[in-house]
Amino acid sequence: MATVTLKQAEKTYPNGYKAIHGIDLAIQDGEFTVLVGPSGCGKSTLLRMIAGLESISDGEISIDDKVVNKVAPADRDIAMVFQNYALYPHMNNYDNMAYGLRNRGYSKADIDSKVREAARILQLEDHLERKPRQLSGGQRQRVAMGRAIVRQPKVFLFDEPLSNLDAKLRVDMRLEIKNLQQRLGVTSVYVTHDQVEAMTLADRLIVMNGGVAEQIGTPIDIYEKPATKFVAGFIGSPAMNFLAGKISGDCKHVTIGEGVRLDLDHDVSADQTVTVGIRPEHLSIAADGQGQINAAVRMVESLGAETLVYLDFGTDANNVTLRLQGTQQFVKGEKLSLTIPADKIHLFDVETGKRI
Amino acid sequence: MYQSKWRIFTNHTILILGSLFMIMPVWIAFASSTHTREFIFQNGLQFWPGGHMIENYGAILFDPSATKGRVTALEMLFNSMVLGLGFAIGKVIISMMAAYAIVYFRFKLAVPLFWVIFSTLLLPLEVRIVPSYEVVANLGLLNSYTGLILPLIASATGTFFFRQFYRSVPDELLEAARLDGAGPIRFFIDILVPLSVTMIAAIFIIMFVVGWNQYLWPLLMTTDDQLYTIVIGIKQVYNSLYEGGQIPQFPKAFALTVMATIPPVLVVVIFQRMFIKGLVETEK
Repeated sequence: MATVTLKQAEKTYPNGYKAIHGIDLAIQDGEFTVLVGPSGCGKSTLLRMIAGLESISDGEISIDDKVVNKVAPADRDIAMVFQNYALYPHMNNYDNMAYGLRNRGYSKADIDSKVREAARILQLEDHLERKPRQLSGGQRQRVAMGRAIVRQPKVFLFDEPLSNLDAKLRVDMRLEIKNLQQRLGVTSVYVTHDQVEAMTLADRLIVMNGGVAEQIGTPIDIYEKPATKFVAGFIGSPAMNFLAGKISGDCKHVTIGEGVRLDLDHDVSADQTVTVGIRPEHLSIAADGQGQINAAVRMVESLGAETLVYLDFGTDANNVTLRLQGTQQFVKGEKLSLTIPADKIHLFDVETGKRI
Repeated sequence: MYQSKWRIFTNHTILILGSLFMIMPVWIAFASSTHTREFIFQNGLQFWPGGHMIENYGAILFDPSATKGRVTALEMLFNSMVLGLGFAIGKVIISMMAAYAIVYFRFKLAVPLFWVIFSTLLLPLEVRIVPSYEVVANLGLLNSYTGLILPLIASATGTFFFRQFYRSVPDELLEAARLDGAGPIRFFIDILVPLSVTMIAAIFIIMFVVGWNQYLWPLLMTTDDQLYTIVIGIKQVYNSLYEGGQIPQFPKAFALTVMATIPPVLVVVIFQRMFIKGLVETEK
C-alpha cells in the first residue's frame, strides 16, 4: 500500500537524447494508473525509472514519501511483470515464484505458504512442478504475476504484459488483472499502447507523447474532454474526425467545408482558424435529410454489432468516419446527411493543438 | 525428401568406407597390441587380435619398466587426466567469468579489452612458448601440475563463445533477477550458469580433448618422469623401441596408444548426450 510521486522526473540518455521531459504525477494509494501512448513516447522508460532499472537524470521519484532516486530496484519494494514474462527458464514455476523470497531470506515454511497462496489465487496449483516452457502463454503470464504478488510489494509495475497474448486471451487476462488488483488493493502502474486496455483498466490514465504527459485524468474525462488534438486522436477507435474550421464573427459558430455553419455550445474568440474534432459515434444520419453536412459513402465496414461508414466530405474530399449501431446497408457513392450535436464538438488550436 | 534406392546405397557406401578409413588404424593398433613382440617382429601388423592382451596391457599399466621410464601407464593416465580436466574446467570457468564481465558490466574498456582478448587467438602457445616457459620457471612452477595447467587456462575462443551466448540472453532476465534481489554473483550462479549448461558441455568437450592431446608444453615443462602425460609417454616408448639390441616393444607401444585414446573418446561420448539433449530442449 503506497503512493508514488514524481516531481519533474526527467530522463536524458548519455547520447543526449531526452526521453522524458519533466513529468509531475501523484499516484494515490491503491490506484490503478495506466501509461498509454504510441511506441517511442517514453512510457516504458518512465515505468523503468520507477522500477529503478533506468536512472533518473533530474527531478525526484518517491515511493511512500521516501525519495528512491538512488535506491536499488530490489530495495524499492516493487514488483514488475515484463512483456516477455522474463521467467527463469531453468527453474520450475514454484522456484520462479520463490526465488525473490529466498534472496530476501524468508523461511522455507513462509515461502511455501506464500507461493501456494499465490498459486491458488492464480489457479496455478497444478503447474507448480512444471517448467515455464511447458505452459501456455496465458499460464506463463500468470506465473509472472505470481512472482510479483508473492512478494506483497508496495507497487506493481506492468510493462505491456498482455501484448504477447492472442486477442481472446488478452481480454480474459485483462479482466483477471483488474480483478486481482482490486482484490489486493495494491498501487499499480501499467504501461500499454492498447487503448482498450488503457480505458478499461485505468482508474487514472496518463496519455504520453514524445516524453511529455499530454493529459492526466480518468478515462472518461480524457475521452470526453481531450486536452490536445493528439489525445483526441489517440483515444477512441476509430479515431476522431478532424476538419479545418473558422470561428464566425459572433463567436457562436464555426464554419467548415463550403460554408457549413455549426452551432457551438460555448463562446470562442472570433475569426480564428481551428481544428474541429467530432467522434465517429457522435455523428448520426438525419432522418429527414436535413442534417448539417452532406457526404458521400466511400467504403463500409460491417462489424456485426456496429457499422463503420467512411465518407468523403466537401470538395477537397475530407475523410469522415461514421459509426452506427447494428448492421446497415449503404451503396458506394450514396449521399448521407449528417447531424452534429453542438455539445459533442471539440475545438483545437491549429498551432498548439490545445483544446479551446 | 524422396530418396531413391540408389541414392541410399551410394550414401551408405560412402559413409561405411569413410568410417572404415577412420577406424582401421585404431583397430590395427589394438589387434597388434594383443600379440607377443616376437610375433609382431616376424609377421608385421595384425588384423586379428591375439591371445596376449591381458599380459601386455597389465605390464603397461602396472610395470614401470614396460614403458621404459619410472612411471606406469596408469600414473601417466592420471597425469593426463589432471591436465585434461584442469585445462578444460579452468578454461570454462575463466572464459565464463571474463565474458560475464565484458557483457554485463559496461565499463569503459569492455569493448577494447574484449578485442585484446580476441586478438590472442593470433598468438597460440607455440608462438609464445619461450616467454611462457620463462615466466613459469621464474615462478618456480616447473614440474608441477599448476605450472602445467595455469599458463594455458586463458581462452579467447571460450570467452568469445560465452560472450555471444550471454548477449543472446534476454535483458529482462537480468532485470527480473535484480528486482528479485539477486546481486551480480547470485545472478551469475543462479541464472546464467544453469542456462549455459549446454555451452559449458560443448566447450568442456573441446577443451578436454585439446588439453589431453597437449604435447609440446608438457614436454618442455616436465623433466620429472612422475609428471609425464600419456602423450609424452607414447613418445618415450617409441623413442626407445630400438634401444639395447632387443626385439622392439611394438605390442606395448600399441597398447599405450590405444589406452591414450580411450578417455577422450569416453568424454565425448558421455558429454555429447548432454550436448544434444541441450540442443533439443532449447532453454531461454
